[in-house]
Amino acid sequence: MEKQSGYTWKLGMFVTIGLLLFIMAVYFIGKQQNLFGSTFHITSQFKTVSGLEVGNNVRFSGINVGTVEQIQLKNDSTVVVVLVMKEEVRKFIKTDATASIGSDGLMGDKVLTISPGAKSKKVIEDNGQIASVDGIEMQDLMKSVKKSVDNVGIISEELAIFSHSMNNGNGALARLVKDDKMANSVSNTLSNLETGTKGFSENMEAAKSNFLFRGYFKKKEKEKKEKAEERKEKQEEAKKEKQEARQEKQEEQEKAAKEKEQKEKEEQQKQEDAKK
Amino acid sequence: MILNIKNTFAEIGETTIFAKRFFKEVLIPPYETKEFLRQCYVIGYRSLPLVAITGFIMGLVLTLQSRPTLVKFGAESWLPGMVALSLIREIAPVITALICAGKISSGIGAELGSMKVTEQIDAMEVSAVNPYNYLVVTRVLACTLMVPILVFFADAIGIIGGYVGINIHGDVNFYRFLTQIVQSLEYLDLLPATLKTFFFGFFIGIIGCYKGFNASNGTESVGQAANSAVVTASLSIFIIDMVAVQITDLFF
Amino acid sequence: MKEKLHKEPKTKEKDQTPIIEIKDLHKTFGKDNAVLKGVNLTLNKGEDLVVLGRSGSGKSVTIKCIVGLIEPDKGEIKVFDQNVLNISKSELNEIRVRIGFLFQSGALYDSMSVRENLAFTLTKHKRDLSPEEVENEVMEALENVGLADAVDKMPSELSGGMRKRIGLARTLILKPEIILYDEPTTGLDTITSREISELILDIKHKQKTSSIIITHDMACAKMTADRIVVLKEGVIHAEGTYEELEKDEDEWVRSFFE
Repeated sequence: MEKQSGYTWKLGMFVTIGLLLFIMAVYFIGKQQNLFGSTFHITSQFKTVSGLEVGNNVRFSGINVGTVEQIQLKNDSTVVVVLVMKEEVRKFIKTDATASIGSDGLMGDKVLTISPGAKSKKVIEDNGQIASVDGIEMQDLMKSVKKSVDNVGIISEELAIFSHSMNNGNGALARLVKDDKMANSVSNTLSNLETGTKGFSENMEAAKSNFLFRGYFKKKEKEKKEKAEERKEKQEEAKKEKQEARQEKQEEQEKAAKEKEQKEKEEQQKQEDAKK
Repeated sequence: MILNIKNTFAEIGETTIFAKRFFKEVLIPPYETKEFLRQCYVIGYRSLPLVAITGFIMGLVLTLQSRPTLVKFGAESWLPGMVALSLIREIAPVITALICAGKISSGIGAELGSMKVTEQIDAMEVSAVNPYNYLVVTRVLACTLMVPILVFFADAIGIIGGYVGINIHGDVNFYRFLTQIVQSLEYLDLLPATLKTFFFGFFIGIIGCYKGFNASNGTESVGQAANSAVVTASLSIFIIDMVAVQITDLFF
Repeated sequence: MKEKLHKEPKTKEKDQTPIIEIKDLHKTFGKDNAVLKGVNLTLNKGEDLVVLGRSGSGKSVTIKCIVGLIEPDKGEIKVFDQNVLNISKSELNEIRVRIGFLFQSGALYDSMSVRENLAFTLTKHKRDLSPEEVENEVMEALENVGLADAVDKMPSELSGGMRKRIGLARTLILKPEIILYDEPTTGLDTITSREISELILDIKHKQKTSSIIITHDMACAKMTADRIVVLKEGVIHAEGTYEELEKDEDEWVRSFFE
């Protein structure tokens, strides 16, 4: 009997601590899953849930505040999602909050995000419904991509026509690019213009010294200085934009060139076909 | 060769009959409560230091080994969750079960084997005490109930080991560490893992008892019983684990 | 005192009621290792029957069949007029309680102290005993074998002779009517053997038991035997008192007595 009590307390301690560890694990995991403690429910209707699953996290302002409890098809284009959330965040969620579905992390787990609304001050009720914002679907994304690709096609076609007429046409622009005479006459015209303006500026200098006009010109100079500073900033921005624009142009030109080549080839083939 | 296979099947069959007897006799009085508690003490409490040391080392080593890979993927913050998950789902149950197979199964095999050889089991039988009830039922039951508790200890101590491992390279607050672990766990991680430890315990007990109970006469067979108990128990642990993981995978 | 006991005439106590009857007992181990080939044996009430025979002649198998440790292939065993071969487990256990069995090695439970060894069997059968009563019974049984001071020792601390005496005490604690001794003196020195033999006689007189003693120790047989049977190759080869067999015409039987 004495011997028995020597080990029973150790055994009891061993078993108690072991079971306590288990119960603690169950409790904490349960707390994590909102199965214990006070919670409330929210529903929201989506057209599509894009792979959202029961048990996914619900976030509000980036904080995990609940989990997806249930996902049900209501009809062919409506899915009802039931969320279970911590009671303590209810006071922050107003009736005009919106729910949206996004992805999270490397593995692409879906997350339901609740975004606060702007106007309403009424706290949402238990089992209340909030509006949903359909997330960007891959399909939609592909649609818009297709549209812009189509546009690029049209643009490049027109560009091809433009450059073709530049090379072969007889218009003013084409002649400017191709004809040496034309180019010379333009440069002559420009140099004439230059000398003309020089003379004009000398006249103006003379006019400035005239006392009658002095006040007017001083005012102008002040405005100039202020404008120059503004201009500098603008110029820098403009430069950047230009660079980007140039790159795009280059790409488009390249595309156009390629398409042109293709067209030429096609034409050649047609001609050959015709010959045959 | 064919004879070997036949013998293996015969042994499996005999073990099954032996185990069947357990379920029959576990319900029939007399209940050997005192012996059961004593076995719980020997199997559970006495194995704790061994399980604690291995659990700690497993947690530590697992953390240190997984760290470089996770760092490569920039997912270092997943380390606590991953270590806890692999500990609880797989490593702690299996390692603890293997340790118990080595310590408990061989111990039971040797003890019952020597009792068989020195006619102590016959003596019990002759004095109209059911040796199966007194020796086997108590031990198997104690194993079945104590191994899961040992696994809980291994889980907890392994997680502490993981914490130490993480703090070798970085500095993580213990509370933050625990939060990260709890966040990455679900019931589905805990429950199947716990359930299978009961099976581990049962098989460790029943195989040890079977080998000991069926030792032939002669002191040499005591060593054989202990040895083959460890081998068979370890093997069966891996098989049960495989089956358990597949079933878990199938249903969840 | 012990001297006086064993000088008492043996014939007086004989009453011819058989309590164990074995008829045509067969047992084969494996495929062709026939150990018993039709043994016929009777134990009368209050009789000490010594079974002689060489190693492997089937002596141990015979008495293990009586208590149901080994199931014979063929034959009939009647104990207290009940056929032990076709009764239920619980009925068999009732009979087992009335039969004591002393194993060759004593078969003490290694994990228990001497006190626990004795109390174990007792408490398994008489569950309503108070701890004081159990203690009293244990001490009484130990005093019967003269080892009351070894009560707190573990079996590993005991000598071979002490183990056998404790084993005997454990058998006696249930107050059996029949005691089966499996080679009680094997492996002991002459003096200890003599002590054990005296103990067997002592018990017989004190507790009025009948016993079957398996041995090939002639000193022990001479002291304890009321009647001797000799087993040879699985059958009873000769039967009689010690004095009769000593002068037997069969040379093989006489070889035991030399």
